[in-house]
Amino acid sequence: MRYILLVALNMPIILLGLFNIITQYKLARVSKERLLHQIVLWGIILVILISSFPAYNLLVGKPIFDSSELSLFDIFQTTAIIVIIYVLNRQRQRIEQNEKIIRDLHQELSIKMSDPHGKN
Amino acid sequence: MSKGLNVCVVIPAYNEGPVIRHVVEGIASTMKQSRFDYMIVVVNDGSSDDTTTQAVAGGAKVIDHILNSGAGSATATGLSYANQNNFDYAVTMDADDQHLPKDVLRGVKIAHKNDTDLLIGSRLLDSNGMSRVKVLGNKGLSFITYALFGINVTDSQSGLRVFSKNALENLRWKTSGYEFCSEMLWRAKQIHLNIAEYPISAIYTEYSKAKGQNNWNAVNIVKSLVRRRIIEVFE
Repeated sequence: MRYILLVALNMPIILLGLFNIITQYKLARVSKERLLHQIVLWGIILVILISSFPAYNLLVGKPIFDSSELSLFDIFQTTAIIVIIYVLNRQRQRIEQNEKIIRDLHQELSIKMSDPHGKN
Repeated sequence: MSKGLNVCVVIPAYNEGPVIRHVVEGIASTMKQSRFDYMIVVVNDGSSDDTTTQAVAGGAKVIDHILNSGAGSATATGLSYANQNNFDYAVTMDADDQHLPKDVLRGVKIAHKNDTDLLIGSRLLDSNGMSRVKVLGNKGLSFITYALFGINVTDSQSGLRVFSKNALENLRWKTSGYEFCSEMLWRAKQIHLNIAEYPISAIYTEYSKAKGQNNWNAVNIVKSLVRRRIIEVFE
């Protein structure tokens, strides 16, 4: 039950991450390489999530991996970490887009102002 | 072979008033003797001295940055100008009189002959005249560039670089400080540009030694490159 809750809470975030990058790609805002890279990244998170329960069953009882069962706190903590990764990633992308706009603006403005008669 | 080629010499400059005229006149004198059509563009990166006046007096076209944005930004502005004006090649060189004009001309000829997209003038293929600290610092940064981005060059921080039309149209980078030197190589590799090196001399005058980068700046460059490399994992 707890494992299902963990997957149910996190799956939408991962799907949202994948949906966002596919949208960006379809709008031609990111390259194919970047799309593949993001799919791999979110895919890894998805695999880790799905395999967490079998991995727990496999590792429980082994000396250095032995731990108590997944608690509700663990579930919310894991969900929070994935939400933070998602939000940070989105914010960083937006900051980089804005930085690029400002940089390009400054560049173009400097070139245009150096040639006020509009040759460039 | 080289007739009809347009070459844009881009010189990013920040407070280089004492030497910029000499640098511009030196490169102009050498380019005049070649068969290239050329233009010298000084990108004044928000200097507070008379860099613009001196560069104009030397015969350069000057693009004034409204704000001081760093060497990477100034170089990008100069290369963007070269691209917008359909130059066949662009060459970047330092404004502190460190590079020999004949090396600039030789670079264009080599790039054209070998069909190279990005040709780097390496001071370390023959490091005579360079202090041990600088040799060590540059080798260290080249090693870090290799470790982070898989680019194997001897002088990843060289300011003398030749760009083909293909490179001018497609090569872009994100950092604005001195770390752009390494990032540019990475971006060039990502878009499959043909990268090569050729040996150049580096002249270290008292002026260029005084103006040159503080060796501790290498720490900031490394930090910025590592950060950029990690960020890119999530892109």
